Amino acid sequence: MNQNKFLIQVTLQDTFLHRLNGETKVRLFVVGLVAVIMSFDLRILVPILLASSLGVLFSKPNWKSIRIVFLIVVGVNLLNLFLFYLANPSLGEYWCGENTIIHQFSTRYYVSVETLWYLLVRFIKMVTSFMVSLWFIITITPSQFAAGLAAHRVPYKVATIVSLGFRYIPDIARDYENIKLSMQMRGVELDPKKASISKRLKQSLLILIPLIITSFDRVSTIANGMDLRGFGRGKRRSYYVEQDPTVWDKRVRFITNVIFILSIVYIVGSMIWPAPTNMWCPL
Amino acid sequence: MEKNWITYLFGKWNTQTVVAIAIGAALFGVLMIYGSITVFTNTRLTTAMIVPVVVGALYGALPAAIALFFGNMFADLLAGWGFWIDWSIGNFFLGLFVGLLPLYGARVKDGIFKPLHAVIFGVIAVVGNALAFGVLTPIFTVLLYGGELTITFMQAFAAFASNSIVLIAAGIPVLFALAASYRRSSGLRKE
Repeated sequence: MNQNKFLIQVTLQDTFLHRLNGETKVRLFVVGLVAVIMSFDLRILVPILLASSLGVLFSKPNWKSIRIVFLIVVGVNLLNLFLFYLANPSLGEYWCGENTIIHQFSTRYYVSVETLWYLLVRFIKMVTSFMVSLWFIITITPSQFAAGLAAHRVPYKVATIVSLGFRYIPDIARDYENIKLSMQMRGVELDPKKASISKRLKQSLLILIPLIITSFDRVSTIANGMDLRGFGRGKRRSYYVEQDPTVWDKRVRFITNVIFILSIVYIVGSMIWPAPTNMWCPL
Repeated sequence: MEKNWITYLFGKWNTQTVVAIAIGAALFGVLMIYGSITVFTNTRLTTAMIVPVVVGALYGALPAAIALFFGNMFADLLAGWGFWIDWSIGNFFLGLFVGLLPLYGARVKDGIFKPLHAVIFGVIAVVGNALAFGVLTPIFTVLLYGGELTITFMQAFAAFASNSIVLIAAGIPVLFALAASYRRSSGLRKE
């Protein structure tokens, strides 16, 4: 389960996406997310999914850890879809405007083509959003992330929050694992099959107290180190990883800006001329 | 006094606070992913709710809110259940409400946390949860994602119930423990 330790990069490899500037990657990531969030349309989602999958493919990731994370993501999302269906079986009607019933379990629960289509689109949307996050995480370091945010006029204290938090997630995850293991060694049961929810909640509090203490113990050490290096003295700061954009940076930034403008057009357009159905249903 | 009030709300923006927000956000992300029990789609009974309590008590309300906002983003980024900005915004406001602790006199850093403060904290936690997830999150869900209101309200109710339970059942004992440990180090004794 130590997935994060492998996903968050501290050093860069030498591939196309790794070589790009922090600013370029942050912009591409944000625009990609906007495009995924705004649309419930397979015609937009599938190209983004393919592009970001290619991005992951060409960045030579650690396949072993990615496979585990990917299986977890697919499992969690399938469970979510099932719960979605249980919560509201007539979802398809809302999204597509009609109902073609294939099988009827009871008056409330039935399977319709539109609901299945909606669940499929939703699943692809979730996987796409995961792939967009994935290529970004495996090709960026915390300091590049901060430099990229600062280049987009985000106040550098906020950029520091993001990069520091990003940097310390693997450490805290490791602490969590260690504390959990040592608690289990002392006989604390955390297996969902063996302990009830209320008991597990009580047990997870036992992990919490030491985790809070070890995590916030770090604060003064890190803050002193940063103060000694003059953090927060100036109104602006520069970043060591900030580089001049290369030719490819400029090209990717151009494409990103075009996608951004198209997304804005799409959002404004669907506000002015709403589509007849809430999503694209070729059924 | 006037100045204190502002400090309690916005926090002192020195290096300590910046680092504490970052660590709080990272802790929130880790606890969202590992330390939680799924109760409904995309909602978990999560011990991560302890983060705004600690950050709010020690550093102020706005730092707690920002820690939750970025913490939720980290969790979304790493866990792969999709990117839900509306929930980050909901968590931001929840952090703001929960982190109001010093404003009503619970100076945990000076070792002051009385049963009365615990009661106020409990009320604010429940009301803040209802506001953040029952009103604000659905508004942003409609604005950003469109539709899906039935399920958002179901999720919101699940989040409201589970967060309130965690905030009260775990938050209050942690606050008493924190206050006690700070009282010990301040060297003052009640006569």
